[in-house]
Amino acid sequence: MDEFRELLDDCVHCGFCLPTCPTYELWGEEMDSPRGRIHLMSQHELGAPLSDSMVEHFDRCLGCMACVTACPSGVRYDRLIEVTRARVEDEHPRSRGERLLRAAIFAVFPYPRRLRALRWPLRAYQASKINMAPLLTRISPTLAAMERLAPPRAKAVRLPERVPAHGERRAVVGMLTGCVQREFFPGVNAATARVLAMEGCDVVIPKGQGCCGALSLHSGRSEEARSFAKKTIESFAGVDTVVVNAAGCGSAMKDYADVLADEPEWAERAQALTAGTRDLSEFLAELGPRATRHPLEITIAYHDACHLAHAQGIRAQPRELLRGIPGLEVREIADPEICCGSAGVYNLLQPQTAGELGDRKARNVSATNADLLVAANPGCSLQIATALRRRGEEIAVAHTAEVLDASIRGIGKELFSRR
Amino acid sequence: MTSRLDGLAERLRVIAGAEGVITDPAELRTYECDGLTYHRATPGVVVLPESAEQIAEIVRACAAEGVPYIARGSGTGLSGGALPRTDGVLIVTSRMRRILEIDIENQRAVVEPGVINLDVTKATRPHGYYYAPDPSSQQVCSIGGNVAENSGGAHCLKYGFTVNHVLACEVVTPDGDIVEITEGPGYDLLGAFVGSEGTLGIATRITVRLTRLPETVQTLLAAFDSIEHAGGAVSAIIAAGVVPAAVEMMDALSIEAAEAAVRCGYPAGAGAVLIVELDGPAAEVDRQFAQVKELCREAFEIRVAAGDAERALIWRGRKSAFAAVGRISPDYIVQDGVIPRTALPEVLAKIDELSGDSGVRVANVFHAGDGNLHPLVLFDDAVPGAGERAEEVSGKILDLCIEHGGSITGEHGVGVDKAKHMPRMFTEEDLDTMQMLRCAFDPAGLCNPGKVYPTPRLCGEVPGRGTGVHPLVESGKADLF
Amino acid sequence: MTTPLDALAKACDTRPGEPEDGVQGVVPSYVAAPATVAEASEVMRTAAEHGLAIVPRGAGTKLHWGVPPDRCDLVIDTRRLGRVIEHTAGDLVVRAEAGLPLEDLQDVLAGTDQQLALDGLLPGATVGGVLATATAGPRRLLYGSARDLLIGITVIRADGVTAHAGGKVVKNVAGYDLGKLFTGSRGTLGLIAEAAFRLHPLPRARAYVTATAADAGRAHEIVQALLHSSLVPAAIEVDGPGPITVAVLLEGVPEGVTSRAEAARDLIGGEIGADPPRWWGRLPEGDVLAEVHARPTALEPLFADLGTAAAGADGDRLPGKARIRGSAGRGVWHVALPVDGAGEIVSRLRRHGSTVVLNAPETVRLDRWGPLPALPLMRRVKDQFDPGHRLSPGRFAGGI
Repeated sequence: MDEFRELLDDCVHCGFCLPTCPTYELWGEEMDSPRGRIHLMSQHELGAPLSDSMVEHFDRCLGCMACVTACPSGVRYDRLIEVTRARVEDEHPRSRGERLLRAAIFAVFPYPRRLRALRWPLRAYQASKINMAPLLTRISPTLAAMERLAPPRAKAVRLPERVPAHGERRAVVGMLTGCVQREFFPGVNAATARVLAMEGCDVVIPKGQGCCGALSLHSGRSEEARSFAKKTIESFAGVDTVVVNAAGCGSAMKDYADVLADEPEWAERAQALTAGTRDLSEFLAELGPRATRHPLEITIAYHDACHLAHAQGIRAQPRELLRGIPGLEVREIADPEICCGSAGVYNLLQPQTAGELGDRKARNVSATNADLLVAANPGCSLQIATALRRRGEEIAVAHTAEVLDASIRGIGKELFSRR
Repeated sequence: MTSRLDGLAERLRVIAGAEGVITDPAELRTYECDGLTYHRATPGVVVLPESAEQIAEIVRACAAEGVPYIARGSGTGLSGGALPRTDGVLIVTSRMRRILEIDIENQRAVVEPGVINLDVTKATRPHGYYYAPDPSSQQVCSIGGNVAENSGGAHCLKYGFTVNHVLACEVVTPDGDIVEITEGPGYDLLGAFVGSEGTLGIATRITVRLTRLPETVQTLLAAFDSIEHAGGAVSAIIAAGVVPAAVEMMDALSIEAAEAAVRCGYPAGAGAVLIVELDGPAAEVDRQFAQVKELCREAFEIRVAAGDAERALIWRGRKSAFAAVGRISPDYIVQDGVIPRTALPEVLAKIDELSGDSGVRVANVFHAGDGNLHPLVLFDDAVPGAGERAEEVSGKILDLCIEHGGSITGEHGVGVDKAKHMPRMFTEEDLDTMQMLRCAFDPAGLCNPGKVYPTPRLCGEVPGRGTGVHPLVESGKADLF
Repeated sequence: MTTPLDALAKACDTRPGEPEDGVQGVVPSYVAAPATVAEASEVMRTAAEHGLAIVPRGAGTKLHWGVPPDRCDLVIDTRRLGRVIEHTAGDLVVRAEAGLPLEDLQDVLAGTDQQLALDGLLPGATVGGVLATATAGPRRLLYGSARDLLIGITVIRADGVTAHAGGKVVKNVAGYDLGKLFTGSRGTLGLIAEAAFRLHPLPRARAYVTATAADAGRAHEIVQALLHSSLVPAAIEVDGPGPITVAVLLEGVPEGVTSRAEAARDLIGGEIGADPPRWWGRLPEGDVLAEVHARPTALEPLFADLGTAAAGADGDRLPGKARIRGSAGRGVWHVALPVDGAGEIVSRLRRHGSTVVLNAPETVRLDRWGPLPALPLMRRVKDQFDPGHRLSPGRFAGGI
């Protein structure tokens, strides 16, 4: 694969990525830095067999892409790790336990209906204190955290297939509802749809849409990812622009062009969707505000989701949107470039590392003394809120869309009570 | 040798813990080079200590076995100064990164060697202070590495180098002792240690001077048709008695690279850009800045940074220039030579000539204020002979520096890369005299051997450390003095 | 067999030593005055052949510092090595021979509106002498001391070999910085023959703001206020007690200096003047002279340590009383002490930082250097550079 080798050669070993890498921050080891991992990839590319230690270092990568932002040479680490993960899945036999865990994760998370199905039994399990199967024990803390943070199910909103623009129409956009977002944070989707409509967009929400494939793509399950990508392309065939409110999903969809590049019948359509994908904040910033913002007297800590800030380069837009709300104060979290440890399914696969990173992030969030934590990725909010709880602290979490929605609708900050 | 290293690795695990010792071959190889990838050697063992005491024990263990050791920080050096040895131990300080003390009243901070340069500034900026030496890699390079290399940076024109900002160092000597060295009283061992490229010992705790943040910073970017015009402006600024905080120049090719990498938006069509930064009390800076603008009158466009964000954008192109060259050339050599500033026009013309004659492209990025050139010699390693031609051009550029009374390195260090050039700048006697210092600190020659000096000066009998005849003596490459 | 005198005379102008050539009473047998670096090298080589103990001498302004040498056969007088070798104004660099008086060098540089930003402290001191003793004055706060301005050096080793380090460009990290090692080495490692310095433009304006502090606590407050201001003073000096004066030097363009001086006055009180106080840039007078390097916050305790040796508020500049003067901004002070109780005060001063007794009557028993953690390393350096221990033997720390 010549392309891969060329991508590897782009690295000049300058090391600018080191201090932005969460695992290098934790352990200070070269092979747990992007530069070191690229070196390991080169070793493998030049013939060294994939050893257990190599795989361990690849597995430990959160895929946060902070290194992509930091790299002055434009190394496409995102592509490198994606290809490498697929190679690992192809070539490296995993232990039975590992295989089962991965299978369980990917049998549940990309499927909203299965996620939904799990919610109630989980509550029952927890209530009854029955010894859970080891696998569920591993997954359940995350599900449990979601359960705790998510609003009661009764409030869930069923979104229609089309939400008409309020006032004069400025655009027609598709909207991705996601998996975790849809099942655990339906309020975020509702808020997104309302904000878009209030800003003058017809919002198209195809019923048949499923997972965008982000989790699979970022875990080396390339076949699965392709299949999800194709389904998503088909779902949104009717619109030119797709607005996404989950950072991980948006970043995956912006990668479709690469994912399907070597499938002639799909390449062009994939490219079109990649070009038409917009994060909500990115889209709103391009569109410009029209709806009136009502004051919201609240202090927020804005967290840069890695897949928004690093993978999509979106930092200014959400801050700009939030600062546009009268009375609202945005506080910066120290070391914003360092990942919170959530990283898709990373917190399930590498719980200890994820926990340490979560603790670090929680410390920095706590130091802002903000009322509300705002992030554009459900995983981040869950991860940080859980880590804060470990410190004995609680913070309300919200998505940028919810804050905008509250301001536009003129409902007070009570909405963001600590739940 | 291998069995000796195996035994040593066991001992190192006792000292630094199993988590602190690396022996897996694939993992070891990730340490095979620093920022200069041209030289590679996989270390025998890597150890990641967490305290000065551990480093002292590691050094003693190496000394007892006669095994060489090399210290490394973030591994960003550009002269192969931290190039490992296959028969040696690489001591990596990346886990020693605590800022131990910030003493604003006395304008100093105490840090461990693995602390990242920029983190000192981040930690002290809220108090109105910063750490002045700012090598281009400041966001990743470590203070320990800065001490070893006496790192400079764009702003050393006004503020000096690492050596001017280090007040004391706790050092593990090659004897394995932990000693605090200072500027005085007694010999200025600190001054000699800083910049000794890790050959005299390992700094384990560094007291640095903090500098008051200037009241005002003014930065301009001036675009010129040609590098000659830009050079003329530099001379005029210096002649006017202005001491800018920084004067940086980039030529058309390096602008192209930076543009491709970070979209810094420098004026299109510029043959050269000059970045001039003044800082200090507003009353001084405003006046001198007006003067500088006037002295850049040959520029076809002058942009003045309106705030920190615009200043950062101006600097972004310059600071990323080395790595950015990766965008316009598959391979390149970063050269680092110094000439007296007044020789700039002549030397740049000759570099241009060299490039034209050889067909090897050379991008020029440099600290124009102090005559420190960073020609980037571009080549494609896939083309047979290209590497050799680039190497030749790069060497000839150093010749030019020496001919004009300059230096073979202004900030990257000699390391392993330029040791061979040392005899062109210094006489045999000079090098011998310098190495007397080496013999005083490290008579056994185990501390980062093979760096800086092309031929080691052997220090005579070392009591209790005899490990047979030195291989260099045996092979006739060196004599006992 | 030729006599040493004959041999030395072949190398350069040499004469027998006279009593006034004595280094603290140790009269040399010979005084050699080389006129070139080659001659200096030849003298050193000849002295090595004859096993002569050597003390280098410039203008001799600080020859009384330290203890007498254990031996002194030969004084090498550097004053004929008095040339400016090279001064390229556009490079802001000068190379000069070691015997050139600093003031003469400054005169030459002033011709191009440039300066070596180093205060010599003692009139007549030579470039080599200033380096060998690492003397620096008030402006060390902004510009650093001799070691910070030195960019290249030529030395003659004990065996007569001439060696260079550094160069004539400011930015240069090739090889060990022997220049720094030799700065402050008091003639114990070799003979300094030439030096290259980085220069600064002469400021177009200067102003001094001088304030009086009621006590050391107030002086400390004033110093701290200046230090953490954005005024970028070139020097912050104190002199006291009785009373304690704090004076600050501002350098720059005329408009800037005027407004900064006013700002400084607003900050600390006192008066603005075009000239420094009388004591500025001079060593305090006393029987015993010590140099203290400590943190700037040591100011108040240092004054307290003088105890009854300090003059009272009305005892300004009484002879025989203690006095502190120096760079409060950098934390380098010279302390003059009466003979009585000097030892006790010096040991008290050492609690705050390193304290070296530069000068004291031979009759006073004093630990002149204090504790030096790196002394074993220094001995090894000495053994390498001067294995025969013939260069200023016994004059340095630990009997080096």
